[in-house]
Amino acid sequence: MLINPVEKDQKHISDLELATGETISDCYQCGKCTAGCPASMDPAPSVLIQFLKLGQFELAKNAESIWSCMACLTCSERCPKNVSPAAIIEGLKNLHLRDMDPRVNLETMSRDLLAHSPQMAIISGFRKFI
Amino acid sequence: MSEKTVRIPYYPGCTMKTKALGFERSAMDCAEVIGFEMDELKDWNCCGASYPLTKDNLMGLTAPTNILIEAERRCQKEEVDPNLLTLCVFCYNTLKRTEFALGQDKKKLETINAFLDRKYEGSIRVVHYLEYLRDVIGFDNLAKMVKTDMSKYKVAPYYGCLLLKPQKEIGLDDPEDPVILHNFLDALGCKVIDFPAQVDCCGSYLVIREPEKVSKLSYDILADANEYGAETLVTACPLCQSNLDQSQGDKVQFADLDGMPILYFTQLLAVAFGLDTKTHKLEEHHIDPLPLLKAHSGADSESK
Repeated sequence: MLINPVEKDQKHISDLELATGETISDCYQCGKCTAGCPASMDPAPSVLIQFLKLGQFELAKNAESIWSCMACLTCSERCPKNVSPAAIIEGLKNLHLRDMDPRVNLETMSRDLLAHSPQMAIISGFRKFI
Repeated sequence: MSEKTVRIPYYPGCTMKTKALGFERSAMDCAEVIGFEMDELKDWNCCGASYPLTKDNLMGLTAPTNILIEAERRCQKEEVDPNLLTLCVFCYNTLKRTEFALGQDKKKLETINAFLDRKYEGSIRVVHYLEYLRDVIGFDNLAKMVKTDMSKYKVAPYYGCLLLKPQKEIGLDDPEDPVILHNFLDALGCKVIDFPAQVDCCGSYLVIREPEKVSKLSYDILADANEYGAETLVTACPLCQSNLDQSQGDKVQFADLDGMPILYFTQLLAVAFGLDTKTHKLEEHHIDPLPLLKAHSGADSESK
């Protein structure tokens, strides 16, 4: 597949870097983040970053796998180049959430699950998905 | 017990007053034995539960900063050391990272102060209960307070993620090869079960969106602990406790694994101290820990 960087995507990517405080071009694709990721993300963290490095902003932003990140920070901790994939993924999620595009539906959520979950799960879950 | 009880400002957080009451009560009972008092802040708000990972999210820092301000005012008024004790790992992580961020970035601090219309001077040091036991009390001193023979307990120390990461900001222990819970259990006299999954993620808040994934991750952790010979697992995090404990209700995922009780480290400490555990909510755990405590209780144990 031939990938051509998209002009307008470059602007989104520099905005994402500004918002997250991360330097995406620092990544040299060693794959340690992906190797340690417990969320079985597909596309994997290093792949998402490679999309961004290639100027394919929409591919990264619309990847369903970003919603499986649980912010355990294993990727960020192990990155030899001091990049935080977790922060970049959260930055991508925030773009959806700020566009009023939530990923859990309060109406249809299991009441039983809510009743059993500790407050911290509900509060942080709502912050990450709504 | 001690001639002079030290009072330490304490931030509980929401979960400690609801689902993790047994954690708080056991911690308070143990503190009394050790000789300090967890002195709850009078006016506290939720810390926000998860620290915002992106640098632009100043709004997410306002709630934890407000808590640090409350603690700072209390410490200044009472002229005590500017420490803030925490139990919940999410609260600890959020407050500790806020402490770090505001210490690094004065401009951020000024912006938040202006927004809150209150002044945080940056003096508070956030401390976890485990950290206090290790650094102030000392695990060797803790060992001298143990009343129960704990040698029969085969316990897996489970750290999870947010107690340790990011190391640069939290600095409690090595996030890949931690020892603090190991050393704590050693001090109690338990048989410590070192197992590879001790720092694996349980699935965290994903439980509200993909509970089946959390079941799978919890299974992997518990199957690992079981394989290495653990009969119980201790944690400091109410969400880890809940995920690992409640997931065991998933009979399909857990078909080949016997129930493993998941205890807060303070609940086990209370047993080691020979305290009455009636108020420690052990009966509310999905996998009942009481049969295990009963099986190991010698003549000198009070646990029912």
